[in-house]
Amino acid sequence: MRAKLILALLPLLALAVRADEPKGYLETVHRHVTLTSSVTDNGDLNPYAVVVAPVSAGKIHKDDVLVDNFNNISNLQGTGTTIVGFRPDTKETYLFARLPQKLAECPGGIGLTTAMTMLKSGWVIVGSTPSTDGTTKTKGDGCIVVLDPQGQVVSVWAGPTINGPWGNIASVDRGDSATLFISMAGFDLPGPDVRDPATGYPVTIHKATVLRLEISVPADKPPVLLSQTVVASGFSQRADRDNFLFGPTGLALGSDGTLYVTDGMDNQITAIPDALTRNDSAGTGRLVTENGLLAWPLAMAVAPNGHLLVCNGRNGQVVEVDPIEAKQIYAQWIDNDQAQTPPGNGDLFGIAMTPDGKGFYYVEDDVNTLMVTK
Amino acid sequence: MSDWGPSRRGFLAGVGGLAAGAAASPGLAAPKTGEAVPHAGAAEPFYGRHQSGILTPAQSHCYVAAFDIVATDKAAVAAMLQRWTEASARMTAGLSAQPRETDADSPASDSGEQLDLTPARLTLTFGFGAGLFVKDDKDRFGLAARRPEAFVDLPHFPGEQLVEQLTGGDLVIQACADDPQVPFHAVRQLSRLASEVAELRWVQSGFIGNFGKTTPRNLMGFKDGTGNPSTADAKLMDEHVWVGSEGPAWMRGGSYVVFRRSRMALEHWDRMKLSFQEQTFGREKVSGAPLGAKHEADKVDLDAADKDGNPIIPENAHIRLASADSNGGARILRRSYSYNDGVNFVAERWPPWHQGMEYDAGLIFVCFQRDPRTGFIQINEKLSRFDMMNQFVTNIGGGMFACPKGVEKGSYIGRELFE
Repeated sequence: MRAKLILALLPLLALAVRADEPKGYLETVHRHVTLTSSVTDNGDLNPYAVVVAPVSAGKIHKDDVLVDNFNNISNLQGTGTTIVGFRPDTKETYLFARLPQKLAECPGGIGLTTAMTMLKSGWVIVGSTPSTDGTTKTKGDGCIVVLDPQGQVVSVWAGPTINGPWGNIASVDRGDSATLFISMAGFDLPGPDVRDPATGYPVTIHKATVLRLEISVPADKPPVLLSQTVVASGFSQRADRDNFLFGPTGLALGSDGTLYVTDGMDNQITAIPDALTRNDSAGTGRLVTENGLLAWPLAMAVAPNGHLLVCNGRNGQVVEVDPIEAKQIYAQWIDNDQAQTPPGNGDLFGIAMTPDGKGFYYVEDDVNTLMVTK
Repeated sequence: MSDWGPSRRGFLAGVGGLAAGAAASPGLAAPKTGEAVPHAGAAEPFYGRHQSGILTPAQSHCYVAAFDIVATDKAAVAAMLQRWTEASARMTAGLSAQPRETDADSPASDSGEQLDLTPARLTLTFGFGAGLFVKDDKDRFGLAARRPEAFVDLPHFPGEQLVEQLTGGDLVIQACADDPQVPFHAVRQLSRLASEVAELRWVQSGFIGNFGKTTPRNLMGFKDGTGNPSTADAKLMDEHVWVGSEGPAWMRGGSYVVFRRSRMALEHWDRMKLSFQEQTFGREKVSGAPLGAKHEADKVDLDAADKDGNPIIPENAHIRLASADSNGGARILRRSYSYNDGVNFVAERWPPWHQGMEYDAGLIFVCFQRDPRTGFIQINEKLSRFDMMNQFVTNIGGGMFACPKGVEKGSYIGRELFE
């Protein structure tokens, strides 16, 4: 309702165009339609990741949309265990996977995050940043879980480089092998009651990383993790009682191998050069753009024109950024739920382009729905 | 309401008007000699084909009480229901719950706070919870096979934060009257008569402002109940409220009731723009008219759109999602009350997740229907997922109960189920 309301009432407001800037992708989408509820029968809610299936496999049909939940029925963050599927042609919603709350190989258990992808080989890979009380006070290191196309756990990746896999996955999928980028926002993060006396807020630390994972996918066998490289590090992270944590969340891979990262705490987007090949960390990378229309940038998608579409956490806007020109183009209010101030505050998270590139899917955490732009 | 009192003087004073009082009390069995006069008028019938308190025009106050059965034999439950029936017939007619005892050294058989009040249109409506049929997987009373097919368990709905102590129950009493003291008095006496058979599990008082013939407003400030089917239309009631031949004999003429303790985030709601509140409801606040219309009773036009094709009544507006047109024709009879239980600490479950001391106030949502599967459950399936109002309302308690058909004189509530 929110997006359509503002478009109905103020059709020009939604696109805050700077007249002297080139136009971009967002002006081609006008409507925002509710597709389904992401709430599962076990009561999980707070949708995070949005992934479009590249192939049909098991329960999943090609172009289905997978959405995972970060919270359980008690609305405790870091406890959601479910992934739902939505089939656009039939409008059917189904439960793809329900993981156990505790997995022996996954430190702290399961709380599914925005880090999710589906490979062309049919395997689904999803991150867990778990807690038991809904705050980072009880946060476990978490893990990366591999599911078969029937939604069953087949392997778990954990270890010293994996702590709080958090943001949306950027990947190159070659079929029999793949390269994945996952942000790790959990290292040494204390509970939200550990405050910085200077600011009164939970302490900010700078240990978040982006991890590159090289995997092989043998025929008819689960993916094998071959190697890991920290390609970026030192990003800001902070506990938050309402939002669990702030940390690097959005990842997008440019055609030249540059990896773009949203750094919500510092309200900026940075670039990690040669992300596919580098063997060391680029630190937090090169600044692409900061502040302006950005308001706690979260997940990102790449539009057909190569621009980044960035979900704002602090309002319900998606911001279009030209990463090559390092310019913010404009923003569109895709969730203007006036129940929050500013409208849509805290509602957006995951985003993924539709297969035809004419729109994008996104989630609304305020009402636990999957949306699409048209 | 009158009757005996603890003093001899009160007792004697009442005797003179006995005949007139009894005549004015519909359905009341003749009081025993020595009982005082109920006030004339202001009484709703207790006996009848249907239980009262369902189609009865809503009284200003209610007190809902759910009980857990602690007795282990069916006869004890049936005997309690007989006591409840007799006491209810008396109290709804303006008498005390039980005939006056003569031994001044015994505890009074009625607490007496209703003395000098009229029955205030008191109705007492009884319902059976799932636990009467099966509890903890046990068929305690040999009634499991008699559980109606329509009496399913309520599914979990998104966003619920049900508190166990405020939810469920094996029996329920809905007491309603035009006086705040009368329904509590009634439940208090019935609870006492349940001693060693059933114990209180949860109670909830409620109220409706004195809106006269206009549709009542809930605490959000909006009219609540506009779209109700007319209780004057017997055909509609048969179609949507009363269980018909599809149900077991003891339920034919009865109905299924759903209670929901719906806490409203009133502080949050009060900060919303009027236009947004109206979009959330789908109605204008003052007039109650559907958006795009002029009068409260105007048709809700779900197809109306602006020039850009966006619906006038938004996609997730409450009245759109609750309407029969959006739910395959499903209709229920709502009979809700507001509640106000002070303040306590709460963590709101929506962005920006405000935490603090807030009103524990909202709506005791009450609805009656012929079949919950095609009534409340069907309607709430969509509402609970997409209603914009969900950002301001959290269901924290309540339950569903099968309200048997009305009681004939000489019988007792639910007799056909037990015998």
